[in-house]
Amino acid sequence: MVGPQYDLVGNPLGAVRSTFERAAAESGGHEPVAAFRGKDWGATEVFRSFLFEQGGLDKVPVLDESNLGLIKPNTLVRFRGMVQDMLGNEFYVGAFKDGSTWRTNKFSDSSPFSMPHPCDSHLWERHLFHCVPVPGQNSWTRESSPGPDLRRIASCFTSEQREKRKRGADNDAMDVSESGSGETSSSSKKTLADWESDLNCLTFPQKDDGVRISNSSVEMSMNEEHHVPEMNGGDHHIPGSSFSCLVKVYDMPESQVKLNDVSEFIGVYTFDPELAAPNDNSDDIMFDLMEDITAQLPPSKVPRLHCLVWRNLSAHDFLPRPPAVEPSPILLRGIRQSLLSHFTLVLGKDELAAQCLLLHLLSRLRNKVDVVTVGRLSLNFTGFNRESVSIFGNQLNNLFQRLLPYSQVIPLSIKYLNTATLQPRKDNQSGRLVTGVLQLPQGTHLTFDETLLQSGSLTSKGVKNTMLLKNLMESQKVEYDFEFYKLEMATDVQLLILSEGKSNILPSDLIVPFRPSSVPAVNASSEELESWRWYLATVRSLPQSTETDTYQMIQDEMVNAMRDDRSLGCSELSRWLTMAQIMAASFGEKSLSMEHWQMVKELERLRKERLQ
Amino acid sequence: MSTDDVPLSSEAGDEDTPETDGGGGGGAGADATPVFVWGTNISVQDVNAAILRFLRHFRDPRDAGRVDPVMDEGKYMRAIHRILELEGGESLDVNAHDVFDHDPDLYGKMVRYPLEVLAIFDIVLMDLVARIEPLFEKHIQTRIYNLKSSVCLRNLNPSDIEKMVSIKGMIIRCSSVIPELKEAVFRCLVCGFYSEPVMVDRGRVTEPHICQKEQCKATNSMTLVHNRCRFADKQIIKLQETPDEIPEGGTPHTVSVLMHDKLVDAGKPGDRVEITGIYRAMSIRVGPTQRTVKSIFKKTDKSRLHVEDSMETDNPNANKTTEDDFLRDKVEKLKELSKLPDIYDRLTRSLAPNIWELDDVKRGLLCQLFGGNALRLPSGASFRGDINILLVGDPGTSKSQLLQYMHKLSPRGIYTSGRGSSAVGLTAYVTKDPETGETVLESGALVLSDKGVCCIDEFDKMSDNARSMLHEVMEQQTVSIAKAGIIASLNARTSVLACANPTESRYNPRLSVIDNIHLPPTLLSRFDLIYLILDKADEQTDRRLAKHIVSLHFENPNIEELEVLDLPTLVAYISYARKHIQPQLSDEAAEELTRGYVEMRKRGNSPGSRKKVITATARQIESLIRLSEALARMRFSEVVEVRDVVEAFRLLEVAMQQSATDHATGTIDMDLIMTGISASERQRRDNLVAATRNIVMEKMQLGGPSVRMIELLDEIRKQSSMEVHLHDLRGALGTLMTEGAVVIHGDSVKRV
Repeated sequence: MVGPQYDLVGNPLGAVRSTFERAAAESGGHEPVAAFRGKDWGATEVFRSFLFEQGGLDKVPVLDESNLGLIKPNTLVRFRGMVQDMLGNEFYVGAFKDGSTWRTNKFSDSSPFSMPHPCDSHLWERHLFHCVPVPGQNSWTRESSPGPDLRRIASCFTSEQREKRKRGADNDAMDVSESGSGETSSSSKKTLADWESDLNCLTFPQKDDGVRISNSSVEMSMNEEHHVPEMNGGDHHIPGSSFSCLVKVYDMPESQVKLNDVSEFIGVYTFDPELAAPNDNSDDIMFDLMEDITAQLPPSKVPRLHCLVWRNLSAHDFLPRPPAVEPSPILLRGIRQSLLSHFTLVLGKDELAAQCLLLHLLSRLRNKVDVVTVGRLSLNFTGFNRESVSIFGNQLNNLFQRLLPYSQVIPLSIKYLNTATLQPRKDNQSGRLVTGVLQLPQGTHLTFDETLLQSGSLTSKGVKNTMLLKNLMESQKVEYDFEFYKLEMATDVQLLILSEGKSNILPSDLIVPFRPSSVPAVNASSEELESWRWYLATVRSLPQSTETDTYQMIQDEMVNAMRDDRSLGCSELSRWLTMAQIMAASFGEKSLSMEHWQMVKELERLRKERLQ
Repeated sequence: MSTDDVPLSSEAGDEDTPETDGGGGGGAGADATPVFVWGTNISVQDVNAAILRFLRHFRDPRDAGRVDPVMDEGKYMRAIHRILELEGGESLDVNAHDVFDHDPDLYGKMVRYPLEVLAIFDIVLMDLVARIEPLFEKHIQTRIYNLKSSVCLRNLNPSDIEKMVSIKGMIIRCSSVIPELKEAVFRCLVCGFYSEPVMVDRGRVTEPHICQKEQCKATNSMTLVHNRCRFADKQIIKLQETPDEIPEGGTPHTVSVLMHDKLVDAGKPGDRVEITGIYRAMSIRVGPTQRTVKSIFKKTDKSRLHVEDSMETDNPNANKTTEDDFLRDKVEKLKELSKLPDIYDRLTRSLAPNIWELDDVKRGLLCQLFGGNALRLPSGASFRGDINILLVGDPGTSKSQLLQYMHKLSPRGIYTSGRGSSAVGLTAYVTKDPETGETVLESGALVLSDKGVCCIDEFDKMSDNARSMLHEVMEQQTVSIAKAGIIASLNARTSVLACANPTESRYNPRLSVIDNIHLPPTLLSRFDLIYLILDKADEQTDRRLAKHIVSLHFENPNIEELEVLDLPTLVAYISYARKHIQPQLSDEAAEELTRGYVEMRKRGNSPGSRKKVITATARQIESLIRLSEALARMRFSEVVEVRDVVEAFRLLEVAMQQSATDHATGTIDMDLIMTGISASERQRRDNLVAATRNIVMEKMQLGGPSVRMIELLDEIRKQSSMEVHLHDLRGALGTLMTEGAVVIHGDSVKRV
């Protein structure tokens, strides 16, 4: 009913208010709106059906660093990011009486109507989340079309593009407020691409080499210097220099959004220049502690988003068009084969390493019982030196950047350990969580380059950092520092270590001596990449089930293995089982069978041979 | 300030207006002219009378038993008298539980309309005071504490505004003390007339426009006289949720608290407190021009701790220990648990449920967690109550995991690895502050784990130097430092849990423990329990391990998860027991202890072996006492019973059987631990020395030609039935040489 009356993209608040007024009128009674506290009166319903059922999602522009200030306030936008900090909740006047009609302030900062006596108003609450672009997010996730080429072209024709973009934006602004959504969609779509490219143009002059290299897919030289690996664009680790968004979520049980969740928020973008003006009397002693956290996040830099609809994003949501096919074992088997052969080529025809890498990339934390974690499989490739890291390491990183949604490379040098801020820390002065390198979304891939490590002394910070890394490695937990106490946050991070000998700082589950026999020279087509991404995302989310007779079979196998080799311990057998399960999943099988167990045993045999 | 932080007036947050119409009309209509609190059905007179009744007549039920005619006054009347006598206290602390017990209706009104009810409370109180002591001038405030239920910080929501709430949290920041204007005095600039003191009303001062003096009447001439105004102390603190209230994947919430008058500086950052106060919202002006729009409550989490609030009394719980945070019902629950007949087994099962088997080791570790009673005699001698445990075992027997688990469980656990620890890192060290040049004493792991468990992994790989530091810690429980002008003795009342690998990577059952772990016997004897965790090649244990791993991976529901305490409960259980239970030996238990000890020592005297085998030493009896105390603690029992002693003997025996069994004779021999040499071994050596001496005396002349050792060996082998090796002979000859009987030159022996 409301859909056609209001342009939901251009004037979402109109729809919100009209639905509210209607609902208020319908409910009647003495306190018609009291029932609406913490509830929806049908407004989000309208948006939900528009976005997901009528395909309106494509018409909503994505808010990012480049178009901040270009998007008209009070329009509908989307924002994808990681919940970096939770700023608690705030109260606002949700509903108030304007004369004889009830009005609402929901989904907006302030109301165009004058506020009456507080008697006739209702206080409601909303949750505040500080969201940042996902750390380590790879560029392919931002755009489905083959990104790199487009970017290079874009960087050549910067001026032209920019002009076009401006025009587009103007059009957009007019269209939105005036009329139908048909035109809007085309223009906003066009500008979307432009903005995306514009982002790259704009960021080039500002950012240092490390960032540029990682953004373009040009051969990246990693050991140039120990760049702090805020790669792939968002260097949100440096306070002040980053783009972030203050998302206000309504009517939600708090525990639904968790710290470090990657979510898409669709809502009303608001920007009020009046609100943005600096507070002139902040010198008052009272304000020191009374001060609102949001005051440190000026609206001119940190846009406000009043969220109407949100959803958590998984790796699947980054795939351009999720193929509707059922993940049948035959299909997965084929992709597995092609991916494995690609890995083998990248790793210089080392098939064993490729097998292990595949298992590693498919691992995920499945269970956590007290101190025991089940399902993780960290990998340590030994036998690297500085030269081989520059060849194979870069190849691997390139690969990860194109296959995985989030990945980062950390050069593990003494200097890095002593200086980097790995631990997220709560700053009680400002009341905000200061992020650290290890504040990562679930499913991030981290590569540590240990070849840079030389003998030297660690400062106390360095020791703390190594403890953090070790803890992450062993129990998949990161300790956040809250000044008076520490809080452990569970993570699910895949860890790959490239080192000369076995790494003792970061003890991995699986140690594989790397034996390449050729120099890698491969390039994958975009279709291949797409299918691989889909494969990795699908297999990792595949459910696993096991029949009872498998239990018995595996137990027998383990007992036999222990009889043959007395040195086998609990951790090794546990790892075997993990590997066997991933192996089964990699073939698209839902349950583990003897065949996979044997494959893992064979893999282990080959690996042991190399270790000797 | 005066314009910005106008608190929302009580009417605004009031959501109970509908009630007014119904209740106000009919409810209290009987009275002549009932005065109602605006917008409510609360009659001021009723509340007044109820409060008066409460103050006058409330008697603590705990005092009921005491028949004391002098004390025949209500609890709070006595408190008021005390205040009057001391003339110091300016507040009357009122326990909300008392209010509830006396008059639940009053309690309900107080929580729902705190501002109004507390104002009446103050008036009633002052009336009372005036009647008792008409000359008493100070204002006494009522402070309510200990509400019946406390709200979780993150669950505060708009409906709590203007209600009295009680929240628990940790202070993270304190502002400096802010003087707040209470009464303002103005002076006319024209005639110098001083106005009457103007009270501050809701954060606003109404400045008089006209001089009140009849003769003057000048307009806009009044100015504030600072030194004649009255100010009150105010402080703003920030309260943050405590870690245990934060849900998984969340960050702690904070709330600002206004502290007034005596509450200023009542807490420091880091303190855990419970605060009772009135939750209020405060509108914040967002922009300079925004005032007209006066729209939003930009930020509202302001709870106002007003005069009527109290911190939990003088918080002795400020020392941040978790033990203090027990809620009463939680304690009840723990006590219930402790009454279960199978609590001992249940605790054992709950300790590291993912580490399979090793039940007796777990029992020992459990004893370590609970600990015995430390005893300090008036003479100054002290006996430690901490139990030290050493785990020796084959690689891959999840020793490290046990350690990790213990580290998590113990109230103040420190985990170190022997390879990475130096002596100073374990104990304490002296450093020079780089800036000031002052010498600073820094604590190491053992001092830091005072009253906790210090877990040392890879104990065998520790340097000898570092290990020697442990001697003092493990028996004396102190660390002494004498360095760079600092001579100090730090407490290190810690239990040591160490684990070691055998020297040859796998345990060699033919060698003694000492030979297997290469630890000095002096140190070894300081461990109460020494467990050998051996990886026996046994199909059954293998199968159980396999089953365990499989169940970990598949979350097999078949695994008996039943009746296991979860980690937080276990931690709570242990810390409660450690804090509150101090078991004493009962007479029967003491008797049993003596009897058992004598028996243990007697065992060495059993026929067949000679007197030289010592099965128990004085150290063991101390260990036994500690263990039985720990076992009593597990049941929350204040008395050590016979069964505890029996179990302690069993535990000690299980541990000793594995480590102190002499493999040659099969008996327990403390000499193995004490010296590394078993009695039977010593006997054998003595025999050999005697045999050698005989041969030397027989075959060799005094000062005659030297004999080669090989020849001697052949001779001895011929004479005795013993199996003799060359190195045994060498040892025997060494003994003879010290006696001065022979001289050894390389391979040849000469009698002198």
